[in-house]
Amino acid sequence: MKLKKVHAYVFVFPSLFLTLVFGIYPLLWALRYMFYDYQGFGTPVFIGLDNFGRVLRDHQFWSSVGNTGIYALGKLLVTVPLSLILAIILNRKLKGRSLLRAIYYLPTIFSASVMAIVFFIIFNSYNGILNQLLLKYHLVSAPINWLGADHAMLTTIIIAIWGAVGNYMLLFLAGLQGIPNDLYEAASLDGANEFQKLKYVTIPMLGPVMQMIIMLAITISLKGYESIMVLTEGGPYGKTEVMYLYLFKLLFPVSAESQSLQQLGYGSAVGFTTALIVGGVTFIYFRISKKLNDVY
Amino acid sequence: MNPTNTYHTLSPKLARWTGKTVLWVFLLTAAILAIFPIVIVVLGSFKTNQELTSSATIWPQSWHFSNYVQAWKNANFSRFTLNSIFVSVATTIGTLLVASMSAYAVNRVHFFGKKAYSLLMASTLFISIGAVVLRPQFDLMVMLGLNKTLWGIIIILVSAHATCYFMLIGFFRSIPKDLDEAAMIDGCNFYSVYWRIVLPLLRPALAVAGLSAFQGSWNEYILPLVFTMSNPELQTLPVGLANLRYGIGAAAEIQLMMAGACLSILPLLVVYVFANKSFMQVTLGAVKG
Repeated sequence: MKLKKVHAYVFVFPSLFLTLVFGIYPLLWALRYMFYDYQGFGTPVFIGLDNFGRVLRDHQFWSSVGNTGIYALGKLLVTVPLSLILAIILNRKLKGRSLLRAIYYLPTIFSASVMAIVFFIIFNSYNGILNQLLLKYHLVSAPINWLGADHAMLTTIIIAIWGAVGNYMLLFLAGLQGIPNDLYEAASLDGANEFQKLKYVTIPMLGPVMQMIIMLAITISLKGYESIMVLTEGGPYGKTEVMYLYLFKLLFPVSAESQSLQQLGYGSAVGFTTALIVGGVTFIYFRISKKLNDVY
Repeated sequence: MNPTNTYHTLSPKLARWTGKTVLWVFLLTAAILAIFPIVIVVLGSFKTNQELTSSATIWPQSWHFSNYVQAWKNANFSRFTLNSIFVSVATTIGTLLVASMSAYAVNRVHFFGKKAYSLLMASTLFISIGAVVLRPQFDLMVMLGLNKTLWGIIIILVSAHATCYFMLIGFFRSIPKDLDEAAMIDGCNFYSVYWRIVLPLLRPALAVAGLSAFQGSWNEYILPLVFTMSNPELQTLPVGLANLRYGIGAAAEIQLMMAGACLSILPLLVVYVFANKSFMQVTLGAVKG
């Protein structure tokens, strides 16, 4: 019996070792450097909470927080209802149901960065495929500057919706399949029509699952930045700069602009603040949605 | 949801017909929007650059397979593909091995620290401060001398195996412990039970978890981007493709970007067609776990 425990430790060791060294240690590293002035080279200087004071005064950061809010809200307001409607339709008996499910899910399997390149080619204002088609069929009289300051955020939201709907549709489908059939049969016996079944059985029964799915959707959309990074790099004029993209630029000099920004100590403080904001929003949503659930 | 309600004045037959039409128009529009970009990139990869930039066609006027030859040879996609395959295969095998070993031990043996370990794994799913951890991870790899190989990326990807762990541990409950005991009586030890009894039985679960690990590592962008900033020869497909945008004259060679994008979505597309059901399970597992 004792030997078995030794075997167990041997088997857990690789997992534990990797998690501690490449997961937990980097986290502690970041927590420490929040309190330092550290550019990534030279000697780190302890400055206490100064980095956080700087976060509070950092207009670029707070504008990225605002952009993240617009981005997440725009994405969620379309993605959640649309994926729920698709899931409800595809949960019923319907010809071609599994093919449609497969088609709607397809966009979610591809890399956000690769799809951003594809959308860059489609939305390109000068010679993009979309503008060419719109002009050809006389739907617009002049090319729309999809990636310009006025529309860039809308474009990134459209791309985010495209990549997310299939995923949430599937999660909603899983939730719908958890509703016992007896309830629908009972409702039918009581003379309920399809609309009443939806209102009095499906939606209330789906409540807890929906709460979890929306929470997941909120955190994921607050964290997303890969496709924006590839599509617009946060531009034009910082119009599509989201929190995590701004953070990334503080930490890694990928372009000439971010080269001047690079600041590891300050970046750690921004990272911590960002995580707090995401956690805070999730917590507030959780409280509100719980209260709403209690009311029903 | 039932459109018949809104058409009281119409005859029931007509109302039902109208409702069905509206439903199918909606479903088909959504389906077309979902696959439009994929169709555009696949068909676009065979067009000439001139056709791509100046004439609004969907179907290619003539098919240019040479785009792929050019992307493969001149734009270095052979190198990117090889790197991507290496990273994804190694990460998938590593993740499955590490996660299944620890899941097996946690599910079968009571040992000191088990609760703490499970808590640690669960917390790694929730703690995320984004890109901040990339720098210390990179420094660690420099210390280990692995920053100039693909192993640095692979090890970090394998270390994020918590999702896979939770997927597998769910499946372990369905493998009866009696089976282990019977095998032990027949002369198996802890390790051979794992290797010869448990892993073969776990095959469907390993397929689902492996698919998710493969998809994740094949699509990973940020980590390879950071690691290949000074080693361009290590770039994977998403990084190499994104860099085409900034390369000199790249803007003029959209057909190469299209062919490159196709090369990087093709393996997942093929796997998806054959393993559609498993893909669906990947996400279904996520809502339960």
